[in-house]
Amino acid sequence: MNTASGFIKALESGTKHLFIKRFTLRYPEKKLKFDGDGYQFDPKRGVGIAGLRGRHILFHDKCTGCQLCSIACEGIAEAIGMVKIDEHWKQNKKNIMPQIDYGKCVFCGLCVDACPFYALYMTNDYELSSFTKSSLIYTPSQLAVKPRYDGDVEIKIDSKGANHG
Amino acid sequence: MGSITPDFRFGNLVGSIIQLVLVILAIVTVLILPMIFFTLFFVPLPVVNGQVLTPYLFFSMVVDPSRTLPIVKFLMHTALFKAAIFPGFLFASLIAAATIFIERKLLAKMQLRVGPLYAGKIEGIFQLLADGLKLISKEIIIPSGADKPIFWLAPVMFVATSAAVVSLIPVAYGWVVADLDVGLIAAFALLGFFPLIALLYSWASNSKYPFIGGLRALHQMIAFEIPFFLSALPVVILSGSLNLTEIARSQHIFWNIFVMPINAFVFYISSLAELERIPFDLPEAESEIVAGWLTETSGMIFGLIQLGSYLKLYALSALFVILFLGGWYGPQIFPHELIPGASSSNIPLLKIIALDGLYNAVTVNSIFWFIVKTFGIILLMLITRGVNPRIRIDILLHTGWYKLIVLTFINLFVVLTLIYGGILGPGGMILPK
Amino acid sequence: MSNLEEKIDEAKKLSMQIVKETEADRLMTLSVGPQHPGSGHFRFVIKVDGDYIVNVDPDPGYVHRGHEKMCEYRNYFQNLPQLERPALHDSSNILYSYCLAVEDLVGINVPRRGQFIRAIASELDRLVYTQYWLAIYGIFLGHSTMFMWPAGDRELIIDLFERFSGHRVTHCFSIPGGVRNDFPYNFKEKCLTQVNYFEKRLKEYEHIFYNNPLFRQRTEGVGILPKEDAIKLGVTGSVLRASGVPYDIRKVEPYDIYDEIDFKVQHMKTCDSFARSYIPYLDMIESCHIIRQLLDKIPESGDVRVKLQGNMKGPPGESFKRVESGRGALGYHIVSDGASRPYRVKISTPSFRNLIALSYLLVGSKLGDMPSIYWSLNYWPIEADR
Repeated sequence: MNTASGFIKALESGTKHLFIKRFTLRYPEKKLKFDGDGYQFDPKRGVGIAGLRGRHILFHDKCTGCQLCSIACEGIAEAIGMVKIDEHWKQNKKNIMPQIDYGKCVFCGLCVDACPFYALYMTNDYELSSFTKSSLIYTPSQLAVKPRYDGDVEIKIDSKGANHG
Repeated sequence: MGSITPDFRFGNLVGSIIQLVLVILAIVTVLILPMIFFTLFFVPLPVVNGQVLTPYLFFSMVVDPSRTLPIVKFLMHTALFKAAIFPGFLFASLIAAATIFIERKLLAKMQLRVGPLYAGKIEGIFQLLADGLKLISKEIIIPSGADKPIFWLAPVMFVATSAAVVSLIPVAYGWVVADLDVGLIAAFALLGFFPLIALLYSWASNSKYPFIGGLRALHQMIAFEIPFFLSALPVVILSGSLNLTEIARSQHIFWNIFVMPINAFVFYISSLAELERIPFDLPEAESEIVAGWLTETSGMIFGLIQLGSYLKLYALSALFVILFLGGWYGPQIFPHELIPGASSSNIPLLKIIALDGLYNAVTVNSIFWFIVKTFGIILLMLITRGVNPRIRIDILLHTGWYKLIVLTFINLFVVLTLIYGGILGPGGMILPK
Repeated sequence: MSNLEEKIDEAKKLSMQIVKETEADRLMTLSVGPQHPGSGHFRFVIKVDGDYIVNVDPDPGYVHRGHEKMCEYRNYFQNLPQLERPALHDSSNILYSYCLAVEDLVGINVPRRGQFIRAIASELDRLVYTQYWLAIYGIFLGHSTMFMWPAGDRELIIDLFERFSGHRVTHCFSIPGGVRNDFPYNFKEKCLTQVNYFEKRLKEYEHIFYNNPLFRQRTEGVGILPKEDAIKLGVTGSVLRASGVPYDIRKVEPYDIYDEIDFKVQHMKTCDSFARSYIPYLDMIESCHIIRQLLDKIPESGDVRVKLQGNMKGPPGESFKRVESGRGALGYHIVSDGASRPYRVKISTPSFRNLIALSYLLVGSKLGDMPSIYWSLNYWPIEADR
């Protein structure tokens, strides 16, 4: 009988899955591993370098305060504003640098594409939650901090199924 | 949220603990102690060993080892213990709670994910407690124009009827809350009450989606009651009695499922339809009629209905085990005495530890096998939930009214042939009665 | 009373009369609205006579966000993050069409490796979207396992996206001129492993879902859309292919490098709900074959992008391009008048065009068939409302 064999095959398929490993990633005890350091852009060649688009990192010794990142973001999310800083850099005549509001940023990375001086990259850090909205606005000195992210879990496929870790 | 959580101060913790203790002391003094004395004045206390058992006598007897166990045994055989704790409401509720947890974890494993994980240290074992607390703390919203008395009464009636069905189930020989001579018919009569509750509740909700759900529940449950009765008919003919304990005892040689497998299958499908489980959960079809007749339940009313639903699941699985799977019979794996040689020795402490007089190996064995078989049937019902989609109402009614009744008649004729051939039944070759 | 107030009074009286008449009949009006577990972000009002649906009135527009108007205030590159939002799960496909239209307007050719990478991203996105659709289909029919398995297997593909584009869902990867970045160095092996395992998992769905007698009873013979009516109504995508018309834009108007790829156009002749739910599954298996061919034929090295200026001015003119997305034919019509912002962008989405089949199919069917017909039309409300 067609119906009976259909039911039995469905039951068999369901019971078979009781012996396959679970697929869930048990975050936050385990975190994913990312290859590379984050999304970067090479203005000379005109292409980007693959990586996760997380928090930005700003290199103070390269930024000239040209505002191209802020202009690129104006039509998208208006998350980058230029602020005056206390430091004096030789290449930064106007003494301004970008500050990014992560409450508005959509992490599209078009600001990284717009920077011609290798000053703005993105990193692997995505855990940016906070208790207040005002602490989501990252000042240029906060953006210069290198993130510490250590995740080491990947998808592994073996004979008992795929699983994380 | 813009607020920052306040820092932890030990003085605040001590203060709140003291406040809690004082409140509990106040409630105990003002409410509970008067209730105890009131009860003791007016309730007739039992007689044990020729003396009326007042509470003071009870406490003094407990410390005398030779009289503790008879008192405990006496208490275990009172009607209140049987109805409330074992094999009554508390036992069934524990099995229902275990079923809900196992269902969630089993479905999660089949779907390659983790079920409840964080409530409780070991793999989310306190999830049910957390859910219960959440349901208690929610507001109960009554729609405008709803019929208030029925709206409040129907969930309570649901749980009461489910508990009434549970009270008919014998767990071992002599361990049943209500030993009726027409136990099987009483069970079916109580099951016939559920469509009425669903319809009344859906009508009292004064809303369109519950209305459709209530009508579907009515159609579904009534359509599957007839195959339900008919599939249990050959069991009654074979064992010669309607008493559930007698039906179970008549299977001590072989189980009924070997003679009537088709009827067992029909009973299983009908009980899935009575319980409104997937694949038959049309009255609660989430994607068509929001939540069916349960749409307007919120808070503890929903909790009561879930409790009643899972009590009914335990009751129908236990009924299946008693009718077809040989009740509580199984190989004896418990030893006769807990500590060998304890009952003939003279050391009272050893007698207490070995539960002399209280521990009956046959009863404990019966209870163990009964629970194992019931959980086996419950597991089958849970796996069926995992692999099937929902059925449509016209296919359901077609199956219930045409196909299942025909199948029960086939098996009925087979059993009748075997009985008239003199092989089975009272006066037959295999099953002398 | 003035003329307007008289008219308003008359209209009110007439609507009260209609309400009384319809409720006095056996008809019951149900609002399958946005707050309904069976409808998504979309409202349609049905009138039910017992168990049969008598009248359907779809009411799109709940999620209208004005994407087409917003395009006129942003230049061609700033449009990308907001244009991928209508079909977020399928974002490579909805941006693919935009990039093709802009490149046609400006008149550039994308390098070959860029074309291959764009096609791989588009096919992977088709897998992601169809898995999501299948998951919701399962839960609409009450099959909780069929909700979890596709949602879990989709993670295999989303992991691949995270490696090469940087984000799981909102990729913003195909841009006018090519793609934003090249593949990482060990991507090809990982992609092949995971796509092969994904295809093996797809075979399991046959046992538990497509060959399950209960599912077949619910969807076979339900919601039949004959071939002539399908062509007349103008439906597209898997709905059209399930009615026996083998129309796939990748074969009819091949774009980029699809004329070099060898694949079958799956179509079925039964025109019912089962065919509409089976065709996307077959399309997924075809996509796995296509991805393997693309990974074979991709040139080892080369440019992936033609660098266009950020605020480039589009030459005056218009262009129209279509691609085959997860749901059907998705087209962009861009009109430019020489400024750095487009003058008008019109998005022609498959969901909005398939909506007409909903009122055609639901009338006369049972209430229990509503989820299986509605979701088998592959309707994504956000894309239809834009």
